[in-house]
Amino acid sequence: MTGKRSLTTYGIAFLFILALNFFLPRMMPGDPLTAIYGDEALVAMTPALKAHLVARFALDQPLWQQFTAYISTLFRGDMGWSYFYNASVLKVILGSLPWTLLVVGTSLVLATLLGIELGIESGWRRGSRTDRALLTGLMSLNGFPDFFLGLVLLIVFGVLLGVAPLSGALTPYSGLSGLALVLDVLKHMALPVAALTAAYLAGGYLLTRNTMITVLKSPFMLTARAKGLSQKTLKYRHAGRNSMLPVLTMTGIWLGRVVTGALFVELVFAYPGVGQLAYQALLARDYPVIQGVFLMVAISVLIVNFAVDLLYPKLDPRVSYAR
Amino acid sequence: MTRAGHLPLKLTVILTAIILLLLPACPNGKAPTSSQIDSYTIADSTGDWGYPSPYAHYSRGPGYVLMSFVFETLVWKDATEFVPQLAYQWEYSADDNSYTFRLQENVKWHDGADFTADDVVFTYNYTKEHPYQWVDNSIVESAEVLDKYTVKLYLSRPYAPFFQDVAGAQPIMPEHIWAKVTTPEEFLTPEAVIGTGPYMLADYSQEHGSYLFKANDGYYLGQPAVREIRLVKVAAEMAPAALKAGSVNAASIPAEVAADIEAAGFTVITDPPSWNGKLTINHHKEPLSAKEFRQALAYAIDRQALVQVVFRGNAVAGSPGMLPPTSLWYNPDTPQYQYDPDRARQLIEGLGYSLEDGHFVKDGQPLKLSLIAAADYKDLGQFITQQLEQVGINIDFQTLEGKTVDARVGAWDFDLSIYGHGGIFDPSILQRTTLGEGFNSARYSADAELTRLLQAQLTEMDPAKRKDMVSQIQQLYAEDLPALTLYYPKSYWAHDGSLPLYYTRDGIAVGVPLPLNRMCFVD
Repeated sequence: MTGKRSLTTYGIAFLFILALNFFLPRMMPGDPLTAIYGDEALVAMTPALKAHLVARFALDQPLWQQFTAYISTLFRGDMGWSYFYNASVLKVILGSLPWTLLVVGTSLVLATLLGIELGIESGWRRGSRTDRALLTGLMSLNGFPDFFLGLVLLIVFGVLLGVAPLSGALTPYSGLSGLALVLDVLKHMALPVAALTAAYLAGGYLLTRNTMITVLKSPFMLTARAKGLSQKTLKYRHAGRNSMLPVLTMTGIWLGRVVTGALFVELVFAYPGVGQLAYQALLARDYPVIQGVFLMVAISVLIVNFAVDLLYPKLDPRVSYAR
Repeated sequence: MTRAGHLPLKLTVILTAIILLLLPACPNGKAPTSSQIDSYTIADSTGDWGYPSPYAHYSRGPGYVLMSFVFETLVWKDATEFVPQLAYQWEYSADDNSYTFRLQENVKWHDGADFTADDVVFTYNYTKEHPYQWVDNSIVESAEVLDKYTVKLYLSRPYAPFFQDVAGAQPIMPEHIWAKVTTPEEFLTPEAVIGTGPYMLADYSQEHGSYLFKANDGYYLGQPAVREIRLVKVAAEMAPAALKAGSVNAASIPAEVAADIEAAGFTVITDPPSWNGKLTINHHKEPLSAKEFRQALAYAIDRQALVQVVFRGNAVAGSPGMLPPTSLWYNPDTPQYQYDPDRARQLIEGLGYSLEDGHFVKDGQPLKLSLIAAADYKDLGQFITQQLEQVGINIDFQTLEGKTVDARVGAWDFDLSIYGHGGIFDPSILQRTTLGEGFNSARYSADAELTRLLQAQLTEMDPAKRKDMVSQIQQLYAEDLPALTLYYPKSYWAHDGSLPLYYTRDGIAVGVPLPLNRMCFVD
C-alpha cells in the first residue's frame, strides 16, 4: 500500500467514524433532558426550564443541522459544551485523560512487555514445568475480571495491611508538592496498575506463546539451527521477533479499549479516568461528551493502527514484499 | 450518594462481609474535645457534583447540598422545623396573598459587600429570566423592596408548600455579581461562588471529585464549628474501611455493615422514608385500566415479604397511599391491601377471567403481562414476577437499560414497570407524580375527585384543612392505585460523633435526604 493511498483510507475511515459518533448516541432511546433531570423528582422541570434547555442544547433543530453545526465547530477545534458537566467537553476530557493514560498506559506497556517475554520463554520450553506453571497461572488469572483482582488487592493491601491508599489518584488537600507529591501519586497508582497489568497480561502471553510454538516448527528455524546459531539468537532474534507481530496488532486494537476499558477498576479505586466519564455521559445522554470521548478513542486507534502499519515491515520484511 | 455506578449488589454484599470478617475492630469514635474542629472529611462515592454555584451544580441532591454550604435561602430547616436564615421574621397576608420578610441586617457577602433586600428582589427577577433547575419560582408574581431590609413577595395564587418549595429552597444571589451575567450556566469564575453562607469554596476538582470549603469567619449567625470541610471520593465499598482507618469522619455506608460499624464505636443514623419505590402501571391498557385489577395486584404482592426477601429488612413496606407512616400527613385509615392471593384471584375472576391450569384465561386468551425494569431492579422484578405468577398472572419480566425503560414508560409502551423517586415529604409530591406530564408521573386523571383534591390541597393555606384533604387523597389514591408503592428503602450514614449530623425534617430544602445540613457545621 502506498503512503498516499493509505492516508486516503484513513481519512475516509475518520469521516465515517465522525458520522457514526454523532448519530449513534442520538439513536439510543431516551433524551438528554429526561436523562439529566429524569430520575430526580425534586427538580422543578417547568415548561419554562424545559424550553430554556432545549434551546440551549439546540435540541429543537433538525438533526442534520445539528450535525453540520457539530462538524463546523469541531474543525474550529471546539468539541462542544457538556450538558451534564456544564463545562467545555475538551476541559472535561483533559481533566480525566492524563490519569487514564498514566494508569492504563503503564499497565498496557507492562503487560505487553511482560506478556511477550513470558510467552517467548513458555513457548520455547513448551511442555516443561515452567511452561505448565506459567500457563496454568496466567490462565487462572485471566479468568478473573479486572475489578475483582482490584478488589482483592485493595482488601489485602489497602484494608488489611494498610499500606496502600483506599481511593483516588492522590491524597486530596494534603498540601504535598514536589517529590512527595510524585510519591503520593505512585502510591495511589500501584494497585490499579497491578490489577490492570494482571488482567491484560494473559492475552499477550497466550498469543506470543502460540505464535512461538508455530514459528518454532517452521523450516527457517531448522535452517537457523543448522547454521549453528546460539540459543539466545534463535530464541529472540528468530523465533521471538516473529512471534511479536500478532501481539503488536493486538496491543494496537487494545489501545481503543484503553481509554474506556478501565471503567471497573476506576470504580473500585475511585480513580479518575475517561472510563467513568464515558459511562456517566452515556447514562446522562450527554451527547457532546460521548462524541468527544469516542472521537478521541477513534483518533488514537487510527494513529496506533497507522503506526503499527509502519512498524510491521520493520519487524517482518515479508510484509512489504507481499505487496 | 448515587445509585448508579455501583458494583453488582451480591458481589458487594459478599465482599463487604469478607472485609468485615478480616477487619480488626478498632474503635475510632473519638469524643469531641473542643468546640472547634480543624477539619471534617466526608466520603462520597461519586465525588463530583459540579461547581457549587446555583446554576452549575449537577441536578442531583448532593449537588444542591454542596451549593447550600455557600448560598443561603430566606428560611431554612433544622431537624424539626423551619428556622430563620437570611430572613429573621415573616408574615403571610391573605388579603393580597403576599409574604413579607424582614431580613437580617448584619449579613455580608463573601466579598465584603452588604446583603440587602435588593439582592432578594434581584434573585427572584433573575430566576424568572433564567430558570433555576431546583426551584419553580413561577408562583412568585412579583418581588418588591419595602425598605433596605424588608422585602415583599406577591404570589399569583395561594400556595401551601411555599416555604418547602420556594422560600426555603431558592438560593439568594448577589446582585452586584450576577446582574451582568447573561449565561449563568457558563459562569464558572470564583465570583460565581460568592454567597452569604457559613462556608466559602476554597477548591473544587472535577476529575478527582473533591471539594474544600473554608469557614466564613464573618458569618452572621456565629463562627462555624468546623474550620474546613473536605469532601473526598471513596468507593462505596471502601467507605467503612476509610471510616475505621480514620481518614474520613462521615460516610454513607452499605446497610449490611451498619451493625458492625456501630459496634466499632461509630454513630449510625438512618433517614426516615424519603424515597418511593413503586410499581408503575399502564392504566391505559386492559385489563390494567380496571381499578379492580390494580387492586388485585396490590393483594397479590406481599410487601412485607418483599422487604425481607429483596432488601433483607433494610426497607419499610410501602403504604398504598404513597406517603409513609412516618409522615406527618399520613392517613392511618388508608386501605392497606394486606397480602391475600385468594382475594386477588376473586377480583380478577370478577373481570371475566377464569383459572385454567393455574393461569388466568379470558376468551381463550391467556392473561399475560410484561414487566420491564432497569437492571438495578432485577431481584425485585423477579420477586414480583414470582408473586404474580402464583396468583395466576403470566409475567414476562425483562431488564433493560434504565433510559430505555424511561422512554418506553413515557410512551405508554409497557404493562408494568418498576420505578422510584425521592421527595415524598410535602404532599405536593402526590400531585406532581399523579398529574405531572413526565414519565415519572402516573399521568392519572381518571378520578375527577382525586384530581380536584390534588389541585386544591396546593392552594389550601390552612394546615388543618390541607391535612384533611391530603388524608382523603391518600384514601382515593389507594383505592384507584394509579401506581403501587412497594417499599421505602433505608439508607445509612456513619460518623465519628465529632459533629451531631442529623437528617433534616422533610429533607434539606426541597427534600434532599442527606444528613449534611450546613447547620450541623455551625455552632
